[in-house]
Amino acid sequence: MLTGQLARLAGRQLSSHPWQLGLAILGIALGVAVAVSIDLANGSALRAFGLATEAVSGRATHQVLGGPSGLPEELYRRLRLDLGVRRAAPIVEGDVVVAGRAGRTLHVLGIDPFVDGEFRPYLGGDERREARGRDLLSRAAELVGRSGTALLAASTAGELGVGVGGELAVEVSGHGRALTLVGLLQPADPASARALDGLLVTDVATAQELFGAVGRLTRIDLIVEDAALLPRIAETLPPGADLAAAGTQAGATARMILAFQWNLTALSLLALLVGMFLIYQTMTFSVVQRRPLIGSLRALGVTRGEVFALVMSEAAVIGLVGTLAGLALGFAMAQGLLRLVTRTINDLYFVLSVRDVTLDPLTLVKAVLLGLGATALAALAPALEATAAPPRVVMSRAALETRARRGAHRAGWLGAGVIAAGAAVLAVPGGIVLGFAGLFLVMVGCALVTPAAALLLLRPLHGVAGALFGLLGRLATRGIAAALSRTAVAMAALMIAVAAAIGVGVMIASFREAVTRWLEGTLRADVYVSAPSSVGSRPDATLDPALAARLAATPGVARASTSRGVAVQSPHGPVQVVALDVDPARPPRWRFREGGAGGVWDGDAVIVSEPYANRHGTGAGDAVRLRTDRGEQAFRVAGVFYDYGSSAGVVVMSRRTYDGAWDDPRISSLALEAAPGVDVDALVAAVRERAAGGPRLVVRSNRALREVSLEIFDRTFAITGVLRTLSVAVAFVGMLAALMALQLERAREIGVLRALGLTPRQVWGLVTAQTGIIGLLAGVLAVPSGLLLAGVLVFVINRRSFGWTMSIDPSPLILLQGVALSLLAALLAGLYPAWRMATAPPAETLRDE
Amino acid sequence: MSRWAAAAVVLVVATAAAVFLLWPGGERAASDIEATVAVREALAEERAGFARALAPRRLSFPADHGPHPDFRTEWWYYTGNLRTPAGRHVGFQLTFFRVALAPEAEPRASAWGTRQLYVGHFALTDTANRRFHAASRVSRAALGLAGARAAPFRVWVEGWSAEGDGASARLRASDGDVELDLTVSAAKPPVLQGDRGLSRKGPEPGNASLYYSFTRMPARGVVRVGGEILEVAGEAWMDREWSTSALGANVEGWDWFAVQLEDGRELMVYLLRRRDGGVDPFSAGSLVAADGTVQRLGAGDVTIDTLGHWTSPRSGVRYPARWRLTVPSADLRLELTPRLADQELLVGTRYWEGAVTAAGSAGPWSVRGHGYVELVGYGE
Repeated sequence: MLTGQLARLAGRQLSSHPWQLGLAILGIALGVAVAVSIDLANGSALRAFGLATEAVSGRATHQVLGGPSGLPEELYRRLRLDLGVRRAAPIVEGDVVVAGRAGRTLHVLGIDPFVDGEFRPYLGGDERREARGRDLLSRAAELVGRSGTALLAASTAGELGVGVGGELAVEVSGHGRALTLVGLLQPADPASARALDGLLVTDVATAQELFGAVGRLTRIDLIVEDAALLPRIAETLPPGADLAAAGTQAGATARMILAFQWNLTALSLLALLVGMFLIYQTMTFSVVQRRPLIGSLRALGVTRGEVFALVMSEAAVIGLVGTLAGLALGFAMAQGLLRLVTRTINDLYFVLSVRDVTLDPLTLVKAVLLGLGATALAALAPALEATAAPPRVVMSRAALETRARRGAHRAGWLGAGVIAAGAAVLAVPGGIVLGFAGLFLVMVGCALVTPAAALLLLRPLHGVAGALFGLLGRLATRGIAAALSRTAVAMAALMIAVAAAIGVGVMIASFREAVTRWLEGTLRADVYVSAPSSVGSRPDATLDPALAARLAATPGVARASTSRGVAVQSPHGPVQVVALDVDPARPPRWRFREGGAGGVWDGDAVIVSEPYANRHGTGAGDAVRLRTDRGEQAFRVAGVFYDYGSSAGVVVMSRRTYDGAWDDPRISSLALEAAPGVDVDALVAAVRERAAGGPRLVVRSNRALREVSLEIFDRTFAITGVLRTLSVAVAFVGMLAALMALQLERAREIGVLRALGLTPRQVWGLVTAQTGIIGLLAGVLAVPSGLLLAGVLVFVINRRSFGWTMSIDPSPLILLQGVALSLLAALLAGLYPAWRMATAPPAETLRDE
Repeated sequence: MSRWAAAAVVLVVATAAAVFLLWPGGERAASDIEATVAVREALAEERAGFARALAPRRLSFPADHGPHPDFRTEWWYYTGNLRTPAGRHVGFQLTFFRVALAPEAEPRASAWGTRQLYVGHFALTDTANRRFHAASRVSRAALGLAGARAAPFRVWVEGWSAEGDGASARLRASDGDVELDLTVSAAKPPVLQGDRGLSRKGPEPGNASLYYSFTRMPARGVVRVGGEILEVAGEAWMDREWSTSALGANVEGWDWFAVQLEDGRELMVYLLRRRDGGVDPFSAGSLVAADGTVQRLGAGDVTIDTLGHWTSPRSGVRYPARWRLTVPSADLRLELTPRLADQELLVGTRYWEGAVTAAGSAGPWSVRGHGYVELVGYGE
């Protein structure tokens, strides 16, 4: 009987404070939306990656991988004929750019359609039954029998506006090529369709001709069920080839993508954390307001359990509605975020073609659990407090606030403890997940310390305000302390959001600074020439050495150097190797963490980048084992240098060392130094003129290249910026909610002040000053928290997820921006409540008495 | 032998198509065959640019043992009945198909660039153990993986090959626990089928193939089946055919019979089955005398009665399984019985090709023999 009445009670409480209710729902919804959208975007990108690698590696159990220039095709014949490996498929792979569509990269998979069916059955194409035989056959015949023919996923063909029989113009290393589309890949199920998006299937011969790799294969896929065959295959391989279980390569990339995604997930959870404060605040408010009622209910025989259930069910309603709204919003946002996530993955790791968010039922479950869990957790304290109310005791506001102040001190100590625990967790060497756990502990600790710290700061502020604005000033500061039970939570929420903004901002700025300095040290030449690479930061296109030599002879060039970046196999998976042909007298100005470049130019030593060293635990004096064209070789590591070019890490060696171990004359880029007195822009023009008529080349001045590099850097962090903004938005909602609550609570107080002669203008000023002070306090407190966060991000998270370290660069501008952001958010959030309080007729607010 | 151009294209190319698809497992076989119909229709349109068999031409050897790359389809078809010294029977089929994927060769930088595709079919009938084993190989003519040449004669797909001087050859193939290593050499000169080697398959000019056979090739060698290695000797039959043209639209398949009689004669008949159940008038055959004299047989010269049927448990297709062949002009009556009921090949494409025994009468005398029968286009 009572339950129904209690439910009505809860309903009335919720509906009579629509603003509170709406803002709490909005807060949870935003928090859930951010988490959901990131989860969906991450999931979609990762699934696309999985599908794409699967589409490419198919059902192979093993792969024979070669060096930088692949494998001799003769090896395939030997495996098939001499060894009788029946299930073997030759593959020539590469990326091409769609002509006239910068950035639209297609992955070329060159196969032998007559042996590939077992590996990649979906390449059979149109799986509609009646069309199959005819299409398959003429398609296979045309693919093999005619040069320059290709198959494309139906969706991609539609996007590019090419039909069967049409020509697709692509660019490979600056050379324009035309491919004839002889068929569309139309797999029956949507998952395969997504996997094939952006995949251009050709015959092995066409792919070899396309990439100028005649005689070479990228790899040979194998299906080997008889393990006894493996050692026999391994024996047959030439020194440069390697037999690996399928998926080892994809695994390494997937791990790096996951690390990147973990960062996004953690940031998205931050928004939810802020949302939790909002729930806590709303529920506390509703409990405090109804303390007399709850007391009476208890006296009437309502049990503690029922009161607890009352509060919790109110919270559950808010949580559920907020979560559902958040889900809808999250789905809507996911599409936009997916674009950003994909772009970053493309820039850093792997060419990915994801255009649609895939709905994962698990995301749904996670979101509901997260939303409801966060709500329940946030509502737990207020609900317990409500049950603690003894029957018929009506606790006065004053008593409550006294308790709140005591609580603030207790929370302060607790917070300090939590921060210490977080630090302890961070000190444990471990993975990214542990790093983020520590980070969250530190953040929660900071939030707990906030009220106590705010009280400390308010004391001197009280004096200052009194001295400046007299009674009204003192009223403003006293009011904050007096209403600590409301303001503290708002302050903590805002502080967290602003601290996150500061922390992430400082981290990005430090990173950018490190990259800028690194670029300055690394880019010493004046003009850089490369073939247009299909992907942002990874050099995969090559320059013809003869052309490079001709360009190096351009009048006005004092010195030329070349570099070659390739992925080679190692016992730990693929490793990026950079071979430099530079004047030993003027090497790049590397900054070394340990060791130096001794032995690189006059010996066979190599240097490794810091991420490489961190990932593989390699230090100066150790050896790096690489699969060369002469077999596996060990290279002595002379030093570890700071590098922000690749989070997988690179191994740098001299061109001479490289040529000694690999048969690969190609180069990736050419760097030219202008002779004294030669204008760089004029030299760029001269080089361009000399290169005219040949393949399209990218000729850039040092400045332009640096700008492009930083542009890619900024693009990489675009998603981080978006997340930062989102959590500030949630904090803003929290602020608004807190101030609205305060306004409701203080209606009577304001009425008294108005009755005492305060003008609406003065009331407006008072409330605005109070909110301003709250914002300022949150902002000021966010500075140390933000720096702490930045420190954790730079020294723990970044190092663990990407392997690079940098010095922290707390630019005062970012800190000031943070404080200003906090102030502005508070003031903006306070505008409406202040106006309401100022314009409320005093008589009405006092009538209740 | 009665496999003519377009029909063979269906076979070869459908195998290629099926391999391209490579649906593992038998349950997909039915749909693969469905595809062959479409293939036949598709290929009917794609004859332009290929060489055509329009008139009889002088065949010259060894050149014509080698490939004719400008024709769309070509095959080297070996079948035979073998016995161990103890009298245990083993039948074999080793076939090499060539199919041109494009009418003209393009200059290609890549060694993989080719317009020729080779398909091998290999089947062994172990009559005593009631075991039939069939397999296929597909490869493009590149990197030495597959190919053919006239002198010295060699045709091969991966590890399977026939090499020698054409009139004799060493045949080698293996798959799993089954292996064949056989030397065959012609006991009679090549039989030019049809009109001096031009075998017409339909009313349209060019709807024909160039076709010759070695109707009797004593064979000797080794067969491995299961764990056993058997020394064998016997007689093989070799068919050579190349063409471009396609099947008539009203023809649904064919039955081909090749019989080597103990009296030294050989009989070959192909029967084109029309969709309406009738026999196409272009069905034909030949009767080779012991001295090599060839008697051409027209559609009206042979009567074939089906005496029984067999339904494949794997594909569910019902095939004729016993026949009576009557050649009134030669006073020849033969009853053909499969060595094994199940000699159905499901190697991408589906057909029945198996060793048979022959018994009957030639005039007043009784006569015995053995041979091979091929049944294509059933169950569609």
